[in-house]
Amino acid sequence: MKVLIIEDEPALATNIVEYLSGQNYICELAPTFQRAMDKLSQYNYDCILLDIMLPDGDGIRLLEQIKMAGKEDGVIIISAKDSLDDKIRGLEIGADDYLTKPFHLSELAARMFAVIRRKKFGNTNKLNVGYLEIDIPAKCVSIKGKQILLTKTEFDLLLFFIGNPNKVISKGALAEHLSGDYADMFDNYDFIYAHVKNLKKKLFDAGYEHELKTVYGTGYKWER
Amino acid sequence: MNKLLSRTFISFSIYALFVLAASIPAYHYIVDGIWLAELDEHNQIIASRTEHELNKMHLDEKQLKESIKLWNSIQPGTSLEETNFDVNLKDSLFIEFRQNPYLKRVEIDRFRGLRKFIHINGKPFILTVETNVEETEETVAAIAMVTLIFFVILVLGFLVLNMRLSKKLWKPFRAALKNLKEFNLNHQKPIEFAETKILEFKELNQALEKLIGHTLLVYKGQKEFTENASHELQTPLSIIKGKLNLLLQDEPVTQRQYQLIEEIDFAIGRITRINRNLLILAKIENNQFNNTEKVDLSETVRKIKREVEDYYRLDEASFIEEIDSGIVISGNQTLIEIMTGNLISNAFKYNTESGKITISLTKIGLTVSNSSTNSLPTEKLFKRFSTTRKYGSGLGLAIVKEICIKNAWEVKYTFKEGLHIFNVFFQTD
Repeated sequence: MKVLIIEDEPALATNIVEYLSGQNYICELAPTFQRAMDKLSQYNYDCILLDIMLPDGDGIRLLEQIKMAGKEDGVIIISAKDSLDDKIRGLEIGADDYLTKPFHLSELAARMFAVIRRKKFGNTNKLNVGYLEIDIPAKCVSIKGKQILLTKTEFDLLLFFIGNPNKVISKGALAEHLSGDYADMFDNYDFIYAHVKNLKKKLFDAGYEHELKTVYGTGYKWER
Repeated sequence: MNKLLSRTFISFSIYALFVLAASIPAYHYIVDGIWLAELDEHNQIIASRTEHELNKMHLDEKQLKESIKLWNSIQPGTSLEETNFDVNLKDSLFIEFRQNPYLKRVEIDRFRGLRKFIHINGKPFILTVETNVEETEETVAAIAMVTLIFFVILVLGFLVLNMRLSKKLWKPFRAALKNLKEFNLNHQKPIEFAETKILEFKELNQALEKLIGHTLLVYKGQKEFTENASHELQTPLSIIKGKLNLLLQDEPVTQRQYQLIEEIDFAIGRITRINRNLLILAKIENNQFNNTEKVDLSETVRKIKREVEDYYRLDEASFIEEIDSGIVISGNQTLIEIMTGNLISNAFKYNTESGKITISLTKIGLTVSNSSTNSLPTEKLFKRFSTTRKYGSGLGLAIVKEICIKNAWEVKYTFKEGLHIFNVFFQTD
């Protein structure tokens, strides 16, 4: 899958490229508004990561161009601006998601995974991972036709892991993913442990081999 | 506290009292002096005329004696006596006090007298002329009375002038004062002072305008700095966070290295939240949450409660929820969510083990409480970074306070029966 990273901060762009490598992504970089315009006029992408604050132009205008050209590319805005107006404006113009800096790369990967799948499969978004059959819109997981009952949190976690195959994910990333604005409610992220444990147990009880591994004590990894 | 004008009024009145009191003896001496000089002149004229007329009559010795006798008995206030001193003695002036012989009550009269040596038919005589003069006490009393009347008139005049002056003269001052009282740094609006022709007020207004202009500039600069600094921090934080994620993927990482990465990541999460909250504060202050709408508070509170309670296992009868339905207030949706979110998540966060949490919402206000062992320092509770808790951003309650100020609501903290109670009272109109 092709990804265009429109980001003027090279260190951040290479972070993303490096993290996504080894997964099914081919990344291209566009550090300026002009370069991004050039790329967009020539190619289509599965997903575009768009920093709206570019040195030579407003990223929102790029988004407008993409939408005016009738492109179907999924767009995730990554911005240092945590302003709701920007968020609403971006989503109204047609961005698929909005991520505020700073973010965990695993969070970005999970969001990209979701956006791309939604774009591709829409309402019939069924995902097969090994024996697992995941109906994303219905939030249903089953193995060989047998349904596994997961809580909302466990389902969220499962998708997060699947969006980050073979990556070590810290419990901090999981906690921030789950709690969002309320992450500062916690003195520690130990509550993640119980959720992951339950998820693992449910998958195991349903007869699914352990792909979800605990690493270094408190980190996790979805091995494929 | 005294008003400035009543101060000057009192001083002026006291000064006037002294001056007028001092004028009483002065007037007395002047009036008395004139009085005596005039009487001396009068006595002199009488004496001269007497001498002249008697000489003109060309009386013989016998006739003269009889005439003088008659004179002395019927002419009041004068006496003519023969004398043996045939020297040209000097005239003398004197003052004499005598009881009025025709009154029974005590009535001492003052007399001004002239003793003059005259010659009638070549013989020396002493002629004494006395005229009644007003007594000192009476003069002083009269002058004092008049002075007192003038003093009263003066004071009354001061009072009236004072009232009119304070109304008129101080008008620009009062206007400036009113403006200053209504001035709010947050509104970022400079004060416009009315034109005045009085130099002092003009200078005052100019100085105030300068001061306020400078203050506004500094304040704006400070707020913009906070906002810009917060923005600028996002990107480097993002890079660090990303690099840590990548570091985690390097295999093999030792268990210890993994722990370190986790801890760094946790700290960065905290910086991020402090940064975000600072940004929210700056934005509230910069009026960037201006759009007001009708917000269904009941729904908002329920939603936030659901989101928050997911992370906490609350059991038994430890949670009380009394949320009236259909409470709608006008405000900014985002800010209201932030405010209720902060209050509710705080209650969960700082609740004691198996403590009690209450959320109640009525038309009057929102109340959130949780169990605790000791009271919080009320006066600095809503200040930035005043909490001692290690993991919060230290800004949650400051944001709540700021949102309440923006909406003219009141937020109050009380500690009662082992409960932290936070009340937000809405303006009911």
